[in-house]
Amino acid sequence: MMAIAEVKPANAEADSGREPVLEVAGLTKRYGKLTAVDGISFAVPRGETFGLLGPNGAGKTTTLEMIEGLRSPDAGQITLLGKDAVKQRRAVQERIGVQLQSQTLWAELTVEETLKLFAALFRKPVPIQPLMERFSLNEKRRALVRGLSGGQKQRLSIATALVNDPDIIFLDEPTTGLDPSARQSFWDLIRELQADGKTVIVTTHYMEEAEVLCDRVAIMDRGQIMALDTPRQLVRGLSFDSTVECGFSGTVPPGTLEALPAVREVKSVDSAFILFTDDVAAALAGLMEIRDDAGQRVKSLHVRTATLEDVFISHTGRRLGD
Amino acid sequence: MRIRGFLQLVTAQATMLRRNTGFWLSSIIVAVVSILVFGWLFNPDTRPFDLAIVDEDGSEPALSLVAAFESVDNVDVTGGGRDSELSSLEEGERAAVLIIPEGFGAALAEGEASVLAFYDNSDLIRVGYVTTTVSAVISAFNEDISGGAPAVTLDARSVSTENTRYIDFLIPGMVGMAIMYINLGVGFMLVTWREQGVLRRLGVTPLRPSNLILSQAVSFSVVSLVQVVIILGLGNLVFDVSINGSFAWLAVTVALGIATMLAIGYLIGSFLHTPTAVNAVINAVAFPMIFLGGSYFPLETPSALTPLVEAIPLTHINEALREVVNGSGELGDLWVSWAALGAWIVLGFTASVRAFRWQ
Repeated sequence: MMAIAEVKPANAEADSGREPVLEVAGLTKRYGKLTAVDGISFAVPRGETFGLLGPNGAGKTTTLEMIEGLRSPDAGQITLLGKDAVKQRRAVQERIGVQLQSQTLWAELTVEETLKLFAALFRKPVPIQPLMERFSLNEKRRALVRGLSGGQKQRLSIATALVNDPDIIFLDEPTTGLDPSARQSFWDLIRELQADGKTVIVTTHYMEEAEVLCDRVAIMDRGQIMALDTPRQLVRGLSFDSTVECGFSGTVPPGTLEALPAVREVKSVDSAFILFTDDVAAALAGLMEIRDDAGQRVKSLHVRTATLEDVFISHTGRRLGD
Repeated sequence: MRIRGFLQLVTAQATMLRRNTGFWLSSIIVAVVSILVFGWLFNPDTRPFDLAIVDEDGSEPALSLVAAFESVDNVDVTGGGRDSELSSLEEGERAAVLIIPEGFGAALAEGEASVLAFYDNSDLIRVGYVTTTVSAVISAFNEDISGGAPAVTLDARSVSTENTRYIDFLIPGMVGMAIMYINLGVGFMLVTWREQGVLRRLGVTPLRPSNLILSQAVSFSVVSLVQVVIILGLGNLVFDVSINGSFAWLAVTVALGIATMLAIGYLIGSFLHTPTAVNAVINAVAFPMIFLGGSYFPLETPSALTPLVEAIPLTHINEALREVVNGSGELGDLWVSWAALGAWIVLGFTASVRAFRWQ
């Protein structure tokens, strides 16, 4: 069984009493016939780390881009720090920090020049020197961005998002393409931001990342929010606590798996079946009795504690990675 | 936006341009190599030219003057009637027509006579060489008959007073070409930035598109100005090409030229989506401009092409630059070119600010 990597600190439960710094209501974006974001609503209180979890194409990035002022919504309201994010775009942009999905730095500038350039765009920039020290970039200050390693570019990219000491930081798929150790040190950086009291909005399609980092997670699919709660509550809210993933060589008569004891739900994903159960022992005992059309027993078996991924599967019938 | 912030934006972009060596080096190298090749190796100035001498006098001194011209290697002397030769001149078949009027011999016997010269002004480079040659032959003739006193005076018609060599013509043309190449490149940069996503990154900051465009314009201008100074400096130090007009009007012309090419560069960058496409369009636009705009050679255009040539911004940049460098640089001669460039600037920047997209 796989254990959840980390246990969230005590502030994991959303505190609805705190003032919301971001409120989204009925947000909608259409591209021709495709509705990329379909009337979603949520609110994020100050100091929270809020995750948008979903597969590629779920509408996470489009949602962020509308909040950041890169795209204009077709319908809905975005209130950021008490201001209308569409009508008072520039005033809002003074107070937010953004890291986009792709590496967006100039290869021909040095680390220091890059930070100075971004600082020049804001009314109240912070001093560059402490920023470089904090992100361990001081030794590389005169190095061209072109020659930096992936991890260094990642740190510089986040540093550029902090030059205006923003109230809210948006990170779009920040760890996609990073190796496990770089991902780990990125998570440490986010924890520092959390310790500073920053509000962080992060999109990801890594279930583990959402579980480790986020106070609350909105699970998105096809432009809609399927579920929104703390990671623990999302999992707890399921009618099961474990999943049994199994496969057979042949075919199993329909309804057989559903009829097993203690099995709440069966999803067929790819060529495997996922059984959601609140009693693993009972479900497994039943499963062992089942034969496929060739008289064969279950061929592959994987049992684990329910995770956010299962929340997604139970809502959509698909895996996050699909 | 604060002035300090704006200047930092300009500095950062100028730094990027400077480090992008291939970008600014290629245009300056083409200009400098052209100047050296045409200035030293291949000089089109001293090609032989056709001179018609209309001898209406027929006296002994008149014949010896004709003989003096015939003895010069680079002059192909023809003869004929005044009217037919003058119409040949108009058709561009003669470089010049020299008329020895009736009574020339008699007047010379009195001490002083004059001849009449008509020049083909359409060829800016050759007319300099032709006028110099004709004057030199007449001076030598005077030297022979009177020991240098101006016995025969030259009454020149329809000729510019400047003595323009090919290199004088080429230097402003190369300035114009360098201005064109580097500043059209802003379109390439814009599309590259859009493709790399750095424009998107700037789009989530409070930076306004107009401030971005303005700061790019300033940083490109700085790099472009350095190139202009190098080319004019090379022309002056190595080939003795001086600037006849005022530096103020030169500065205005260069500034308008830079702004025009930036406007066109933005226009290209605003409507195309890939750096490759932008590169192709820049080349497709630049080469015809170099030839039709007269960067290397003066263009004698068939009248059907005149509207096209007049519409080409490089034509006006070159004309204004030559007016300031080679001509006298009077405001009255410059304003038409300036106005044409102004129209391009307004058109280009209005369209590109409207079409501007962060992603």
